[in-house]
Amino acid sequence: MDRRAIFFLGAAIVCFVLVPLSDGYGWVAMTVGVVYVVLALGSWLDARSHRRL
Amino acid sequence: MELTVVLVIAVALGFDYVNGFHDAANSIATVVSTRVLSPRQAVLWAAFFNFAAFLVFGTKVASTIANDVVAQDVLSIGVIFAGLVGAISWDLITFVFGLPTSSSHALVGGIAGAAVAKAGFAVLIGEGLRKIGVFIILSPLIGLAIGFILTLVIFWVFHRYENIDRLNRGFRIGQLFSAAAFSLGHGANDAQKTMGVILALLIASGHVAAGAPIPLWVVLSAHIAIALGTLTGGWRIVKTMGSKITRLQPVGGVAAESGGAMTLFATSAAGIPVSTTHTITGAIVGVGAARRLSAVRWGVAGRVVWAWVLTIPGAFAISWLSFQVVDLFS
Repeated sequence: MDRRAIFFLGAAIVCFVLVPLSDGYGWVAMTVGVVYVVLALGSWLDARSHRRL
Repeated sequence: MELTVVLVIAVALGFDYVNGFHDAANSIATVVSTRVLSPRQAVLWAAFFNFAAFLVFGTKVASTIANDVVAQDVLSIGVIFAGLVGAISWDLITFVFGLPTSSSHALVGGIAGAAVAKAGFAVLIGEGLRKIGVFIILSPLIGLAIGFILTLVIFWVFHRYENIDRLNRGFRIGQLFSAAAFSLGHGANDAQKTMGVILALLIASGHVAAGAPIPLWVVLSAHIAIALGTLTGGWRIVKTMGSKITRLQPVGGVAAESGGAMTLFATSAAGIPVSTTHTITGAIVGVGAARRLSAVRWGVAGRVVWAWVLTIPGAFAISWLSFQVVDLFS
């Protein structure tokens, strides 16, 4: 699997772990986590399309 | 005002000066490494916007530092002095090793260490410290994501543009604005931490009532001190930030500084003390990762992460010891 996608997924997991610890700012951690999931997906699709070319 | 209060205010402003000196690299490393400005021009540019920040942002971060780290009743002149000694010592130690660590977290660790030395762990405010702790991790991740996304957007918008020289010239001008924005965010978030310390000191010594607004002279002197620190800049750290993490072109500089500035604007408005160092490092890594993950020198980035992890415990320990010494003489 694409190393960058794995890195982004790791970042997303860290953000989701922080949600319950963030008191009033849980939504920030949640939003950043979702962004990282999207980036991981995009990065994985990008690497996949490059391999097919 | 008593001489001891004046002396501790001078030490707090000294911390602010060291903060500007230490963190000057964050504002100007990318502008210098892409040769948009000479080092001398870059520090003048950054110092001006560090100072101008007082016109733009409120004082919510200062209030967080003064009220949300340790219980108000434990804050005495000795605690604040010992906390500042710990934070300044940690900043200087990491400066000698060229590590871009966080002055902000050194300050939080320092105040916490001195307060614990005086009255034990019960004086720490869990909610405030948790908020600061969460954003130690979140702020570089936010900077990284914005730096990455901005780089992709810029590449996508300009990928058919053929006159590369003209494009680079455009981004070199753009970098002046993004560096200014980041310096503004740096001045806003970091100068407010010193204001918070001075406010806590003035409350502890009975010169200001708890809950009163921050006096204008405190706001102005904190911004002047950080701007003077930036003027005298720290080149050792500029080198680490500007070229050792990843090589930057003007386009990358614009993306990194804009990503860092957006994060600082949002957190300053929300009253969250974050590290300008963490934020810009994350954004620079994001720009490098947009090219490819191997464009980031992870060894250097990892060394920086270790310095982050050690900052609060390091400053905490030095302040704890400093308070024991202060306590002997008081």
